Amino acid sequence: MAHAAQVGLQDATSPIMEELITFHDHALMIIFLICFLVLYALFLTLTTKLTNTNISDAQEMETVWTILPAIILVLIALPSLRILYMTDEVNDPSLTIKSIGHQWYWTYEYTDYGGLIFNSYMLPPLFLEPGGLRLLDVDNRVVLPIEAPIRMMITSQDVLHSWAVPTLGLKTDAIPGRLNQTTFTATRPGVYYGQCSEICGANHSFMPIVLELIPLKIFEMGPVFTL
Amino acid sequence: MAAPPEPGEPEERKLLGFLDVENTPCARHSILYGSLGSVVAGFGHFLFTSRIRRSCDVGVGGFILVTLGCWFHCRYNYAKQRIQERIAREEIKKKILYEGTHLDPERKHNGSSSN
Repeated sequence: MAHAAQVGLQDATSPIMEELITFHDHALMIIFLICFLVLYALFLTLTTKLTNTNISDAQEMETVWTILPAIILVLIALPSLRILYMTDEVNDPSLTIKSIGHQWYWTYEYTDYGGLIFNSYMLPPLFLEPGGLRLLDVDNRVVLPIEAPIRMMITSQDVLHSWAVPTLGLKTDAIPGRLNQTTFTATRPGVYYGQCSEICGANHSFMPIVLELIPLKIFEMGPVFTL
Repeated sequence: MAAPPEPGEPEERKLLGFLDVENTPCARHSILYGSLGSVVAGFGHFLFTSRIRRSCDVGVGGFILVTLGCWFHCRYNYAKQRIQERIAREEIKKKILYEGTHLDPERKHNGSSSN
């Protein structure tokens, strides 16, 4: 989960998120250099002794400042498109979970090996255990295995919602009447938090998502396979 | 990378308020080499031409080019290293899982080489 006043991305828990962080670093370095150049140009403008107000001819500079931004955009676009297509790769998921958004809670369905369906409500602060996270902890977490491709089918029963887990690099809209699909493979166990990311009413901020990722051996011993 | 700084760790430093040089791989290395390249290019140009303003321009240009060059070179090597680490991790896991079984890649390789 994010720590207080965190601005940067959370640590990656999936290969796609690792790629996104790498791309973010790449884009940020290019942005930093452009900002540096602009600041220098601003400094020169403020300290110049040139006061000619007639329009000057500068064909070469105009050519450079047309071609160079195009090259920069290509340098940013190519890795971006690579990751975009990577997220759409077909990877034969081992497990499919349905996630249905409601006002203001999530319903999860594990129907591959049984009929497990449950709701996931935010724990009110009065019901939190000591050390629990305010506005993030839920009564029933989504328990999933690590190192196995998982498919999430996301929809909504009423208004627009969005199922987001930043550490996995996931954000998928839950749209009534439509089934959206996202896949991921978690690389390390732990408890990971997300929040609804599409305004959906008064309690939009109070319908968090909590994933509990556990080793496959322990997941196989769990209640999903005893139904 | 995203954990809050521990008491013993240095505080994160962000250039221009957003580039986290400490925690971004290759960033500190690229910026330092860029600064060195900027000083060398700018000062060298000044020594040859004695033009201050133009030397500053060359220095800034040198900083940008050297930083970019070091950045791409370092990130390329970092990506190669990550791929090799991932392959090594997978192979170690496979070896632990399959050692002694009919799926052991070493047994298959030894079997084919003895044939």
